[in-house]
Amino acid sequence: MGTVSRGVRNAFRNVIRTGSIVFILAISIAMALVMLLALKSVQAKIASVKSSVGNTITVAPAGVRGFEGGGDLLTTTDLNAVGALPHVSKMTETLSDRLTPGTDTNLQASLTPGSFGNRQQGRAGFGVEGGGGRFGAAQRTFTMPIMVTGVDDLSVAQALNIDNLKITSGSEFDATKDTGSALVGTDLAAKNNLKPGSTFQGYGTNITVAGIYDSGNRFLNSSFVMPISSLERLSNQAGQVSTAIVQVDSIDNLNSVKDAIASKLGNKADVTTSQEQTDQIIQPLENIKTISLYSLIGALVAGSVIIFLTMLMVVRERRKEIGVLKAIGASNIKITAQFVVEALSLTVMAGVLGTVVGFFAANPILNALVVSGASSGQGGPGGGGFRGGGMMVRFAGGLNGVGNTLRDLHAVVGYDILTYGALAVLVIAVVGSAIPAFMISKVRPAEVMRND
Amino acid sequence: MLKVEKLRKEFKSGDSDVKAVNGISMHVPTGSFSVIVGKSGSGKSTLLSLLGALDQASSGTIEVDKQDITKLGDSKLIKYRREKIGFVFQNYNLVPNLTALENVMLPMEYAGVPAGARKERAEKLLAEVGITGDKQKRKPTRLSGGEQQRVAIARSLGNKPKLILADEPTGNLDSATGKLIIDLLRQLAKDEKTTIVAVTHDEAIAKLADKTFTLKDGKLVS
Repeated sequence: MGTVSRGVRNAFRNVIRTGSIVFILAISIAMALVMLLALKSVQAKIASVKSSVGNTITVAPAGVRGFEGGGDLLTTTDLNAVGALPHVSKMTETLSDRLTPGTDTNLQASLTPGSFGNRQQGRAGFGVEGGGGRFGAAQRTFTMPIMVTGVDDLSVAQALNIDNLKITSGSEFDATKDTGSALVGTDLAAKNNLKPGSTFQGYGTNITVAGIYDSGNRFLNSSFVMPISSLERLSNQAGQVSTAIVQVDSIDNLNSVKDAIASKLGNKADVTTSQEQTDQIIQPLENIKTISLYSLIGALVAGSVIIFLTMLMVVRERRKEIGVLKAIGASNIKITAQFVVEALSLTVMAGVLGTVVGFFAANPILNALVVSGASSGQGGPGGGGFRGGGMMVRFAGGLNGVGNTLRDLHAVVGYDILTYGALAVLVIAVVGSAIPAFMISKVRPAEVMRND
Repeated sequence: MLKVEKLRKEFKSGDSDVKAVNGISMHVPTGSFSVIVGKSGSGKSTLLSLLGALDQASSGTIEVDKQDITKLGDSKLIKYRREKIGFVFQNYNLVPNLTALENVMLPMEYAGVPAGARKERAEKLLAEVGITGDKQKRKPTRLSGGEQQRVAIARSLGNKPKLILADEPTGNLDSATGKLIIDLLRQLAKDEKTTIVAVTHDEAIAKLADKTFTLKDGKLVS
């Protein structure tokens, strides 16, 4: 029997105590593992979101937020200057408007006011978005408006910055031409029995349905999209732009182009890069990352403290036995090695149990963290409510690779995690038994002569 | 074999200085069975600790096999304890979660004796002290006090030490068993050519000794 086997056997001297220690230590190791998994998952997701966001800059009229605020919309003249800036590879423009059912259009809104809409309606005056005229006061009879967005990009999805927009029937229109046709959201189409080729009334004229789209979002599915030139003409907003999405040739030039746009447009526009928008949206993930990191450190420290206190207790209890071993010729190294093996045995048992527990607990805990992080963080995608076109693009931008971020995290136990876990177990055992080992070296062999 | 000159051990206890061993000089011949007697607190166990290099002397010399152990460093002291000394304690001090056989093998393992050889010798020593068969595989808690002390004696002889130091080896045993243990120690010492120094309160045991040293207040009085 050697030092190692004696150390392992010593770990089982008191089965009840060993079981308790292993159980508590296993929880600590499981927590460390879960937090490590959470940390890696969140880090990967943040990197993925950041890389998917792209090199875009949103230019919106200063002082205008959707259909709230005040000031002037941007003009095509302003934006032509922006389009001519170096490193700007592409620019898409959108114009937003609202139609009041029964007054401006024969369409019926597919959204109902609900408590939120009615509350907004109750606040007469500025910013009320229900049923009133454009940027004006609310009407007495509240009716949900229907939002319309004009786009100039051949791809509606690109123009709205939505990755998962699908044309479910019909086809896209040519956004560069004043065709007077529209793509209608699935909810609005269903409410009004619209199909490709059918027409509805808006702005006192017939508008033809070119296709039906599904954005995966109820708000967007309750609106319709037209070529920007058609909307400018129909809504008497020639040369007006609600929002422009500027694409930059490289992410390295994002900030310099943003500065150039801000300089060019002065106080006419609010200029935001996609990275800045993303930073806001992923803030809850950053919070989870921080929580995970500190919890990981805390769990490792707790594990080390548990094994440290255990070994401290064991060494104090076996002081006389250590004296005996020294008296019969054991060196400090031999005795210390025996106790380190004992600590390692406890930690390995706890490590195995903790890994199993952590494996099953990782995703539920990660989901709990995500829900907690999301609720305590930003409003997240969807916060736009029904504020209109400007926010529609922002909202849609949020959906672009970020929308489902908070609910799309999965912890995966790989070899790297298991390696980290094994290292953590080793570190806990060594750190936890270091001071007790030092105490062993200080035990005098004369302790053996005590007859207590 | 064992020569002690002007040995002192002093330490502080609260505000006062305690002279546990106060200038002792003694000579123990090779192969003898010597006994140290004295009242509680006379310094017997402290003297035994110094002889076994379990504690450090304040001054004086201890020569074992013509080697002054008071001059040895830590690693050499470990080697000295391992190779030249065998201990027998009043409380047996066997390692509780090891079997009798494993306890006897332990000092030999520390001395680097190969596994096969140490098992063979441990079984032989245990048989010599009367621990045979299934008892060799028992843990100390499943052995009587006398049997545990026999195992402790077998353990002390594992590395063929020059000197066996026994601290009240019969202190926890009845007189008949104590007598058997002393007879056993003496016989084994004779067979293994080992010198024995034992501390005892038992006058009957003292009468069996080749040489008796009496301590009083840390000093040798006879």
